[in-house]
Amino acid sequence: MTEGEIRELCETFFDAYQDKRVDILERVLADDCVVWHNVFGRETTKRDNLSRYHDSYRGQRRRTYDDRIVNTFHDGFVIQYQLRGVMTNGHKGSLWICIVARVRDGQITRIDEYMDSSKFAAWAGTEEAKP
Amino acid sequence: MGRVDTEHRALCHALFDAIEREDPEGMARCYAPGMTLWFNVTGENVSGEDTIAAQAAGRRIQRRRTYDDRIVNTFDDGFVVQYTLTVVLHDGSRRSLSACAVAEVHDGLIVRLSEYLDSSRFGRLRTTEPATS
Repeated sequence: MTEGEIRELCETFFDAYQDKRVDILERVLADDCVVWHNVFGRETTKRDNLSRYHDSYRGQRRRTYDDRIVNTFHDGFVIQYQLRGVMTNGHKGSLWICIVARVRDGQITRIDEYMDSSKFAAWAGTEEAKP
Repeated sequence: MGRVDTEHRALCHALFDAIEREDPEGMARCYAPGMTLWFNVTGENVSGEDTIAAQAAGRRIQRRRTYDDRIVNTFDDGFVVQYTLTVVLHDGSRRSLSACAVAEVHDGLIVRLSEYLDSSRFGRLRTTEPATS
């Protein structure tokens, strides 16, 4: 894939996440895609992630993936961004996140996500929030 | 991209090797004048000088730290490194966390380093300073 194609794939993925377009996520994630999170320290599958997508929005009115800084390398990209959310009670929170992704044939094959779970309570607007 | 790729990889390893062996001069050789380090835990920028000073302070509570399992990918003006930081304290206890750093490189030196980690994994370790300090 060219640098342009990789950048476009990255933006398509995050726009789809933002716009709740699971049909596009289904297309851009390879069937064998693995998603790893530094907070949980375990890998999950494409199916795990897409089946829980709507649940992940529980309590949230809106999410935007802002201030994206994308750099590409020969088989992937790294994106640094600020995830902003508006909860159903009006609370606004944000998280700084970095993702390193692998790509192949127009699809994402691996996602490694890095964030700070100590910010989750402030993100959700509740001290009870846990990773 | 071949030569740049090799140079950026060498710079990445030079920095992390210098931190591992407690070599402030080695760290300084990797940083451009005016270099800044940004840390997702605090959201603040710190200078290269402060980063190097914090590295020395950290040794008071740490016997050893290693940056293992480094996965490095490069791009035209920088690199991203994913790694496991393992810290051994003076009492022998050991903690590890997974982190990621994105570097912007100009003229062979790091001008900006952005580090992302989960501070809850630090436990008794410092929670407000970057893993690369």
